[in-house]
Amino acid sequence: MLSEPGHYDYMPWRRRPRITWPNGARIAFWVAPNIEHYELDPPPNARRMPWTRPQPDVLGYSWRDYGNRVGLWRMADVMARHGVRGSVSLNVAVCDHYPEIIERCCELDWELFSHGTYNTRYFYGMNEDQQRAVIRENRETIKRASGQELDGWLTPAISNDETTQHLLAEEGIKYTLDMLHDDQPTPIKVRSGHLISIPYSLEINDVPLLAMRNTPPERFAAICKAQFDQLYEEGAESGTVMCMPLHPFLIGQPHRIKALDDVLRHVVRHDKVWLATGREIAAWYTEHHLAEAQSWIAAGTP
Amino acid sequence: MKGLPEDYLHYPHRRRGMDHEIYPYRALPAAKPVSWPNGARVALCIAVHMGHFPMDMPLKPFIAPGGMERPYPSYWDYTLRDYGNRIGVYRLMKSLAARSLPATALLSAVLARRYPALMDDLAGAQWEIACAGLDMGRLHHSGVALEEERATVQEAASLLRARFGAAVRGWHSPAHSESSHTLRLVAEAGFSFTTGWANDDMPYVMTTDAGRLICMPLSQDLSDQRMLHQQHLATEDFTNSILTAHETLDREAQETGSGRILVVPVTPWLMGVPHRIRAFNAMLDGIMARGNVWPASMGQIADLWRAQNPG
Repeated sequence: MLSEPGHYDYMPWRRRPRITWPNGARIAFWVAPNIEHYELDPPPNARRMPWTRPQPDVLGYSWRDYGNRVGLWRMADVMARHGVRGSVSLNVAVCDHYPEIIERCCELDWELFSHGTYNTRYFYGMNEDQQRAVIRENRETIKRASGQELDGWLTPAISNDETTQHLLAEEGIKYTLDMLHDDQPTPIKVRSGHLISIPYSLEINDVPLLAMRNTPPERFAAICKAQFDQLYEEGAESGTVMCMPLHPFLIGQPHRIKALDDVLRHVVRHDKVWLATGREIAAWYTEHHLAEAQSWIAAGTP
Repeated sequence: MKGLPEDYLHYPHRRRGMDHEIYPYRALPAAKPVSWPNGARVALCIAVHMGHFPMDMPLKPFIAPGGMERPYPSYWDYTLRDYGNRIGVYRLMKSLAARSLPATALLSAVLARRYPALMDDLAGAQWEIACAGLDMGRLHHSGVALEEERATVQEAASLLRARFGAAVRGWHSPAHSESSHTLRLVAEAGFSFTTGWANDDMPYVMTTDAGRLICMPLSQDLSDQRMLHQQHLATEDFTNSILTAHETLDREAQETGSGRILVVPVTPWLMGVPHRIRAFNAMLDGIMARGNVWPASMGQIADLWRAQNPG
């Protein structure tokens, strides 16, 4: 076993080379709807059982299913109203199960990136060939369903194994979301190829907040706004990133959707915000800031 | 390197629609619009979870929320749940009667045998009676033999029908627990609607080998049991969430021209305690004050929906 991921160097928050975003924005704000399918009868994985109750776990399954039937449609409307695009963390089998959803995402000019095939198929224990096969198949399916290239990656249920990041780079993935070590994009060290990390979040994320920490909707909105306000302020010095990962089965419920509306209204009324997608943030950082960050690290973060 | 078994990357149910045959995929915006009586925008259904929790209930394969969470003999858990059927439910009856609001009781069938006086009062209040299984200790899951599960469903149906007759048409599996046979057994026992699957805001049709069932919406996420008991949230977090949900559904009904449904799942041992009942009343008054509400039982909503969604 590894004692650490080993994918990034220490980069103190002070003295970093300054990051600038397009049009003088202080913060790149992006929303990542997790559009998922959890199988009713998935195979077991030695490191994690897909469901807490014996299969079929009707309560767990139907709760997630709510996201695809109801929640996604409701949250997409709210995001569209505020002119905020999504970067979809997509269980790629959704392209086959619910093409209507992919159609809606494309109509809204949302990015699709891979969140594996199903949220009930973990990477824990896969060998390299198996991981590679999933990544390749996901790339082809996204291309076929939407015409989009696959640039980003979040391992299903963040179940990455030790080699996953290396394989992502080798398979041409441009950015990974599996690591939570920063508020800015950072270079990722891989055995060959190139990969960067851009900030995802398990702090501003409706699963930990609403389902695990039992946060009521108004408090959820207040937490998201506090996160934004601080990163907006710090972004005056050097550009920051705020990701808002969401799950339609939670945020898309009638008692919670107002909280999303409230947060987005707060965000878009600021003028120095770059409403970006994951792909756009990764491309900008790679083009304008990656080399400088790497030199700074090589020089010992002076 | 060994890796996972080869079939871990095989997806036999990867295809258009669901990964099972129980119902087809239907996105909410594609649902056929429905109309409620008098042009109401939102149908209001108070669903009362009236469970009986045996003190010796099995703790495996999982404990129903509200079950015996402390070591045997847990007087703490048992008597507090029982309080709901002695006191709390009467407070709820009074609150609803004062506002002429109907309710649907999701009733553990053993209560018909245990507390006939309570059954008389429910009948007097004209609450709809739906069957929530035998009791909260008799969960439905894949470890139960088919014949045993069939007997449970049949016994539960008989107990309630012996008292309330054919009006018992709704089924709610205790703690939303189901095996892969449950829906078929429920249809076989003559039920016409079920509430186990928390995946929609509107009804839809399920197909079983023994006939069809209407699946009625019933949230677990937005319920007093989840929010007050499991998540330890404040009473007002629940009542405010219900009011916000109503606001959202009411607006959607205006925008889409289709009626919506607000189900309020409440539990007598939680919402029927003295310190919460005023918040419950205020919540009901808040909903009714907005107007354009059709208060109905789950069966009435199912019937009217079915009449507008034949086939």
